[in-house]
Amino acid sequence: MIEIIKKNKLLAAVSLAYILLFIAMPEKAYLSVKNSMYYIIEMLEIMPVIFILTSIIEAWVPKEVIMNGFGEKAGIKGSIFSFLLGSFSAGPIYAAFPICKMLLKKGASIANVVIILSAWAVIKVPMLANEAKFLGAHFMGIRWILTVISILIMSYLMTVFVKKENIPVQEEQSLSKVTGIDIKKQYCIGCGLCEKLMPQHFKVVDKKAKCKESALNDTQINELKAIIDKCPVKAIDFK
Amino acid sequence: MDIFTVSLWGITGVAFIASLVKDKQKTFNSMKMAKGMIKNMVGQIIGILLLIGLILTFIPPEVIKSTLGESNTFISTIVSALAGSITLIPAFVAFPLVGSFVDAGASIVPAVAFLTTLTMVGVVTFPLEKQEFGLKFATTRNVLSFVFALIIALTMGVIM
Repeated sequence: MIEIIKKNKLLAAVSLAYILLFIAMPEKAYLSVKNSMYYIIEMLEIMPVIFILTSIIEAWVPKEVIMNGFGEKAGIKGSIFSFLLGSFSAGPIYAAFPICKMLLKKGASIANVVIILSAWAVIKVPMLANEAKFLGAHFMGIRWILTVISILIMSYLMTVFVKKENIPVQEEQSLSKVTGIDIKKQYCIGCGLCEKLMPQHFKVVDKKAKCKESALNDTQINELKAIIDKCPVKAIDFK
Repeated sequence: MDIFTVSLWGITGVAFIASLVKDKQKTFNSMKMAKGMIKNMVGQIIGILLLIGLILTFIPPEVIKSTLGESNTFISTIVSALAGSITLIPAFVAFPLVGSFVDAGASIVPAVAFLTTLTMVGVVTFPLEKQEFGLKFATTRNVLSFVFALIIALTMGVIM
């Protein structure tokens, strides 16, 4: 019970306010419910659409192909790829950090990384549907256009201020020095892909992947390398 | 339902059936993933929607109009942009909240500023960003995003 309240602090606080209100001023409480009803109905109308859209995008947009596609490529094509990658991804902005870090290592430019991060944050496709629902298609459209223009200018400005040398890079470890596996907990979404593919090394506990400690031989390290690439949020690395 | 929502349902429905026909298993797998994401947000969504009712009942529209309305756009926009920078709620639940304020008479300029900084500027996630990309990258990106959020908001105010 306490766990549930801790996880839903906002809902718990609002519910408490409603309970007190129903006791103290029932007519105000009734009015509040009535006021909320309009937005609840609107939300219920759009929720299934957002859910299905997110699922379809997750299933069919070939993110791996996009990521592997642009490596060194700069110019307009790289920018468009970056916009696509950001717009068709799910999750909050920090979920993009490890993916962008990996792309930087692979040779992506700072400008493109900024485009991915910003597009990931503001112009996700299912969210546009939600925005249009509550604020109007006109509002959404204009904000989208202005945001895209701003992101392009920002990505250019960033390359003026920040150089690649400013970004910390870990030395690529030689495979002979690997001592184990490191899972960045803050990025892991507990999707269970690693457990499914290599149950001998990974297990999902409390919605986070844990690795089972064991001495690693060369074949295992090579197998694990494939898993590191497969992890959808790039949360796994050697240590 | 308005025409916009109906057409969204139509497009999504067709795409969904196509997806099922093409690969049932793949579709179900990603639905499972999306379900996990939505499940994490359900508490927040209901909380915000019920909060809207309280706000609309207890804060009269005249107050919203005078504090967030056309008359003092400048200060309210800066404050909204700052609020958006430090808040960490999914944009998903922010739209109905902002929509309710705009319906009650708030100007769209602070509304846009809040929505844009909410997603693009992250004070709470700053340490994480610094760790991955370094201090210079994280600072510059967040400052630029904040400035551009204001520019987007003001431009929207002029256009709309």
